[in-house]
Amino acid sequence: MNYISIVFNWLIATLPKLRRPKNFFLIILPFSLLLGRLASDYSVLLNEISEGLINLIAFPAIPLVLSAVMVSIANIFSVEERSKPDRFKFASRFGVALACVVLFISILALLLSIYQSPGILSPEGRLNIGRFMLDELDIRIGGSIVESEPTYWFDSIIPTNILFDASNNNTLKVISGSIIAGLAMSRLSSEKVKPLINLLRSINSISVQVLNIVLNLAPLVLIFVIASAVTKINSQIIVTLLNFSICVFFTAVISLGISRLIFKRFTTRDERLLFATNPIDKIFLLALSTGSSMSAYSLIFDTLMKLKRDQAEVEASVSLSLLVARLGNVTYNVIAIMFALNLYEVQLNPLIMIEVLFFGIATGFSTAGLTGVTTIRTISLALSSFQVPTQPVIPLLMVIDPILSLPRAATTAVLATAIGLIASVGSTRAGETVDAGEQIHPIGLDPGIIGAD
Amino acid sequence: MSMAVENNFINGIQERGYIKIGLPPYNTPPAYYIDPKTKELSGYDVDFARKLASELEVDVKFYRNSKDFNDLVRRVGAKEFDLAMGKLGTTYERLFNAFPVQYMKLRHAILANRQSLEKNDLRSGLPDFGDRLKNSSIRIGRMGGSIWDTEVRRVFPNAKIIKFNDWGEVKEALFEGRVDAIYRDATEIKAIVYQDPNLAIQYVPILFEDELTMTSIFMSESGKFGFSDFLKFFIDREWGEIKNDSAIFEEFQDYYNSLSKFQP
Repeated sequence: MNYISIVFNWLIATLPKLRRPKNFFLIILPFSLLLGRLASDYSVLLNEISEGLINLIAFPAIPLVLSAVMVSIANIFSVEERSKPDRFKFASRFGVALACVVLFISILALLLSIYQSPGILSPEGRLNIGRFMLDELDIRIGGSIVESEPTYWFDSIIPTNILFDASNNNTLKVISGSIIAGLAMSRLSSEKVKPLINLLRSINSISVQVLNIVLNLAPLVLIFVIASAVTKINSQIIVTLLNFSICVFFTAVISLGISRLIFKRFTTRDERLLFATNPIDKIFLLALSTGSSMSAYSLIFDTLMKLKRDQAEVEASVSLSLLVARLGNVTYNVIAIMFALNLYEVQLNPLIMIEVLFFGIATGFSTAGLTGVTTIRTISLALSSFQVPTQPVIPLLMVIDPILSLPRAATTAVLATAIGLIASVGSTRAGETVDAGEQIHPIGLDPGIIGAD
Repeated sequence: MSMAVENNFINGIQERGYIKIGLPPYNTPPAYYIDPKTKELSGYDVDFARKLASELEVDVKFYRNSKDFNDLVRRVGAKEFDLAMGKLGTTYERLFNAFPVQYMKLRHAILANRQSLEKNDLRSGLPDFGDRLKNSSIRIGRMGGSIWDTEVRRVFPNAKIIKFNDWGEVKEALFEGRVDAIYRDATEIKAIVYQDPNLAIQYVPILFEDELTMTSIFMSESGKFGFSDFLKFFIDREWGEIKNDSAIFEEFQDYYNSLSKFQP
């Protein structure tokens, strides 16, 4: 009993320290790889543990999303607190910033895919993929094993009943419902909505605290996710999909560069001096090392608040970019669609490339509310429209997803920061001054939080 | 009376000194085929026949000169052989020609071109994929003179069925895009992708859990009365139970895994 207590206390003390980016590379990654190699016979157990931990960490996500979106939308579009030009200015800044960043980064991902040609394989590579598919991918009819396709953006965006949607984990419906409810609240007098705002803020604070507690398990999640992947991943498949992986990692690095440029362009020299190190790098590393863009929410929030940006605008732009826009998934889907088109030797032409961009963006946005490998299934819609078989492509991508979810999360986090920087430029917190060391957490979290990919 | 008939059939084989086994005129590894290394007839059906002969303390002679599966069944019914085997499906029509003793059950299967399925709006992720596929009008290749002629028409009533002379021609038609899918049992369909794993990218085996073919050893009327009980007892003793294709995949895993190196 005493030993159990000692181990428990040691874990409580150690796990938060492991959430630092350098510990990911020095401890978590090597340990996970070793565990995966040594425990290769226990892949089912490792997989079950990792899935359980992921579910545990995702459990406060719905109330967090619901409260953050409703409060931020209600504040931004409040008829009483903001003038019509103010509301319009923010909405147009956010819309333009989002559209520009999405288009720019998607085109870059597309160009990178054309250059790197993922999916164009050597005969040996095709043989490796064929071998992987041999026993994995038979279709069985009449038995119980017929996979059902996920619902898509079009089917799942319209809210039905916000409480029903929340209790059924329909995050996309919760987000759209929260936006509508937030807009409705913004049109009512503050007297009428204040009790609800207070309640939502309480829910948010509690969710943040719950998240803070469960996020201490983030290093354990990563260890089990990576170890479980190592037990299943065939090294030949990794080599075969190297071009694809390179594209995803390069896109993350390019996103980092773009975000750094935007940070430089949309801040003054004095503002940048408030930071000892470049905050964009910290955000990138944090999301990369936790495999979750939401882990960087608090850091992004603090960064923008340190720049004295308007709190409501920061809350709205960052939460919507992180939760809804999911730019890491947009770029990933563009590359994944190109991979599938190349694998099935579809002739590329300008029209098809435009379609790839459209479907990459649409399916990337439709990952809102999904976590981990479930986000990959969203490309089914695009593949079907190109008449490219879905069934062999998605399981292939899933094999290497535990690794690629890391740069995907990092891409989402840094580009959300960039959108937040652009959308909140020119806004200031009236009558407030913030010191360099000040930390504000109204709907924010401690650095190192993980919520959803 | 019954015992006298039984003795007559077995006695006839023993007096002759060998049992006459009819096999289809094809190479169908791992069931029956000419081994490319030893040039000898091999396979689990061949082994089964040899063990049966050994039990009767006689030699075995194989006859592989029938025109097709249907002809083989007709000939055994006409007493040209003692037994006919080689993954022979049991159909109503064949019961008019000979008498079956079931020894295997195999799932029906098709090997389908993945892109053809997509073009026909047949996405495997759809919950009603099975029904849509069975009611589709895709082009399906099948082998003539076999049970698959009637089976494929029953399972795919709206499909365009194209007949070919042998299995090689059927496969060629699929690879050349003349058909969207080809139909046979699971062991034959899966063997194609095992033989060339590259094909798994473009073609997918679809296994029908609810469509089974009962595979039998056929014999004449006198064989039914004089030999079927003994044969059932022998199958039970040798195989334990009626084999299914999963058992065959498991038992001959090494064979299937080595297929990509196998050159028939």
